This record gives sequence, C-alpha cells and structure tokens, in this order.
Amino acid sequence: MHQIDCPWCGVRDEAEFQYQGDASVTRPDPDAGEDDFFSYVYVRDNPKGWHTEWWHHNGGCRQWVKVVRNTATHEIHATGLPRDGLPVPQARLKP
Amino acid sequence: MADLQTAAPLGEVSEFSADGGGAVLQVRPDFAMVQVFAKTGKAGELAQKLDIVSDPGKAGDTSSFAALPLSPGQWMLIADNANANTFGQEITEQISGLGYVSEQSDARICIRVSGPNARDLMARGCRLDLHPSVTAKGFCAQTQMAQVGVLIHQVSDEPAYDLYVYAGFARSFWHWLTETAAQF
Repeated sequence: MHQIDCPWCGVRDEAEFQYQGDASVTRPDPDAGEDDFFSYVYVRDNPKGWHTEWWHHNGGCRQWVKVVRNTATHEIHATGLPRDGLPVPQARLKP
Repeated sequence: MADLQTAAPLGEVSEFSADGGGAVLQVRPDFAMVQVFAKTGKAGELAQKLDIVSDPGKAGDTSSFAALPLSPGQWMLIADNANANTFGQEITEQISGLGYVSEQSDARICIRVSGPNARDLMARGCRLDLHPSVTAKGFCAQTQMAQVGVLIHQVSDEPAYDLYVYAGFARSFWHWLTETAAQF
C-alpha cells in the first residue's frame, strides 16, 4: 500500500485517497476546438516511470494532493499542493 | 402523508461496556456542532477572532467550545450542552464578514471510547498511530475506521476518544465498534 504525505494531514494510507488521474494535462482555451478538447478529456499517456498525478484525500481533509509517483516501482518522489510545481526525476526508472 | 417522527440515529442505545471491563462506549448527547469556513484570505483573522488554532491535528479549546481544524481555513466547532440553534447564530455573528457557518449538530453522532483498552480498540480500526509518544489530549484528525469517515478528538491522556460519525452510518459503525470492543 502507498503511503502518501498529504500537505495538511501528514503521511496517510492510500486507502484514504482516491486516484484522480493525470495532473499534467491543462484545459485548452475555450476556442481551441473539438480535437483539443477530445485530447484533454480522453487521451492520456501510459508512462512506465515517473508520473505526476492527482490524489483526492476524501478520507481526510478532502483536499487535492499532487503526487509524483513511479508507475513501475510505486515509489513516491514528492507530494504537494495543487499549485506546487513538483520536481520530476529525469531518469524514467530508478537504476 | 405519514406523520414524521423524530428518532435518534442509534435509537435508545446509549452505552456499551465490554464484559472484560476493558472498553466503554458512550453515546454523547446534547452537543452543538457547526462547521466554519473562512473566506479566501481571512483564515488567520477568523482564527484570531474565535481564539482558535489552525495547526493540523491540534484541537483548540476555548471556554465555550472545542475547535477541530479540518483542512486549511475550515474548523468544526463543538460545544457541550449547547443549544444547536443559538450556538450557530452566535458563531455566525462573531465571524461576520470573515467566513461562513454550516450547522451540523444532527449530522453526526458522538461516541466516547474510554477504558483501559481504549487505545487497543482504536487500533483495531484506526490507521493512525495513536501511541502516547505521538498523540496526546487535544489530538484530532479526520480519517476512516471500518470504511466510515470519522472525526477523532482525543479528550484525555488516559486515553479517551470522541468519535464523530455521520448519522447515516451510525448503526453500521456502532455494530462494528461493539463487536470489536466485546473482546476487551
């Protein structure tokens, strides 16, 4: 089980959180057109390695937490508030 | 149309004592509870106005209520033996212009867990570390026990805990808690 360091509550078990998807996508301009919105809503990378993602702490403070997690090793590199720019390790996988 | 009748979430149930004497559960009546939300940028001013603390995990006690921080700029204020209507109005007036108040007195029940094995009982369902080196009187947290959202307030170093549970989950949670407490 993951242990996620919530910026407000501290380290809590994964069971208190809900995974909420890729945190790297940004909403297109309202005039961007259907293709851009289709990509924004449905199209996701499926990386093996580091991934910046949303977790919702619905069993605790109900805040959104940004998490940099390795999809292959499940290591969590950093957590922060939604506005935080979190460092993503360069190497796709740990050596 | 059927006549509406008031009913307590747990009916007439008010107490459970484990046969071994290790754990006692009491349903606490007559508390008033409001949730307070600070307006953007007003959390500090609001906390000062109510004389409450904002640190996660630390319940502040004023003379008339306990203030449990829930998340940034949000608190649950709990007053014993208070009138739910007047308590909400008092707080609303006090924080006028700084935040909002949501009356929650009937939204949750409160179960006090005490007795020599109170901590052992909590450990059966609570994922948080409640060892005395980590938590003491005044500790509070929102978490889940038996898959039910619980607001925990440690009210004594003995220890004793107040568990605030949604009224709709009261029977289910009480069932789990009493079944688990029976071994103590």
